[in-house]
Amino acid sequence: MTANAPAPLSRHILTLADTKRLLGIRYSDWILGSPSIETGIAASSMAQDEWGHARLLYAMLKKQGFDPFEVEHTRPADRYYSAPALDRPFADWADFTAAVVVVDGALAVALESFADGNFALARTRVPKMLAEEEYHRQFGSAWFARLAEAGGDAKARLTGSALAMLPSTLAWLLPGDDVYEDLVDGGRVWSGERVRKRCEDRLSALLARAGITLADVEPDRAGWDAERRRGPGSPAEEAVERARGDRNRDLFVE
Amino acid sequence: MVHASGGRDRWSEPLPVAPKDRAGALRAALGEVLDPELPISLVELGLVYGVDYADGTARVDLTFTATACPCMDFIKQDVRDRIGSEPWVDAVEINEVWDPPWTTARISEAGRRKLGRLGVGA
Repeated sequence: MTANAPAPLSRHILTLADTKRLLGIRYSDWILGSPSIETGIAASSMAQDEWGHARLLYAMLKKQGFDPFEVEHTRPADRYYSAPALDRPFADWADFTAAVVVVDGALAVALESFADGNFALARTRVPKMLAEEEYHRQFGSAWFARLAEAGGDAKARLTGSALAMLPSTLAWLLPGDDVYEDLVDGGRVWSGERVRKRCEDRLSALLARAGITLADVEPDRAGWDAERRRGPGSPAEEAVERARGDRNRDLFVE
Repeated sequence: MVHASGGRDRWSEPLPVAPKDRAGALRAALGEVLDPELPISLVELGLVYGVDYADGTARVDLTFTATACPCMDFIKQDVRDRIGSEPWVDAVEINEVWDPPWTTARISEAGRRKLGRLGVGA
């Protein structure tokens, strides 16, 4: 890690906030072009939620010595702490569905852990996020089951999408490094073991419908970037330009 | 009936003299501010978590129905405009709060009755 690496709590918040912001962008890509008008509206609502959550999370950084405006609007792609599964656009609805279950599901577990710790801002803000996340869980579960039960190509593509996302997402959720252990020791978050258990309780039965045994999936920490708590690479520049609001930079007014 | 933003077409005239119960007067004033999407007040909707007044400054603890409520800025502006119109209020501070999380259970009985008359269940 560099000398300017963020403190453990700041890294944790950035990890959650950036992943939510990127997830919102990926959801928004499917407001048009999803299987039905209704699913497009659901994608819109979920994108809205993710950006609302990201904003509340970024605001937590203010007391950690960050300027939230700089964090949200000025960082280059290689300074994003988002989960690698969101680096590229979803190829199809199978990717979308897998991301709702795997990435959004992992995020929800991370938020549960954070809300249960001793960081006051998380205890007071995250429960509202989790209440909104419950609708994402229901939507993702319904679509995941539907594609899995359809069998054939639909199930194969869903399984492929989920398996492609799981190893990097588990590594993101369970960094297993000293920085995360500092958070655990400080009472900020659950232990990695407890997080893994909660993740399995939440996702195992659903993933099994696509033929995936979650307990057998190992986190992929190849090329691990400890500072950004993720594997190598960065989100696509096009997505980061949207996340930062580059086109509207001159229109930011109070 | 369509109301102007925040229901300002039906807002009362500002009180010419500072009332004894300033916090109560502020809450009553907020009771006139309509939600932008539902024709009931912010108080009836259960968005006002606290009201305080000290040394000319009105403080409002305000929550929203969703973390990315698209009407946040409108609502805050309506609150500032209504309370700020009182001559005894020099400044309005809005404290955004999320604890406890808002749910439909926070809608008052009066609010439920109004929504019910419009065919909206809550």
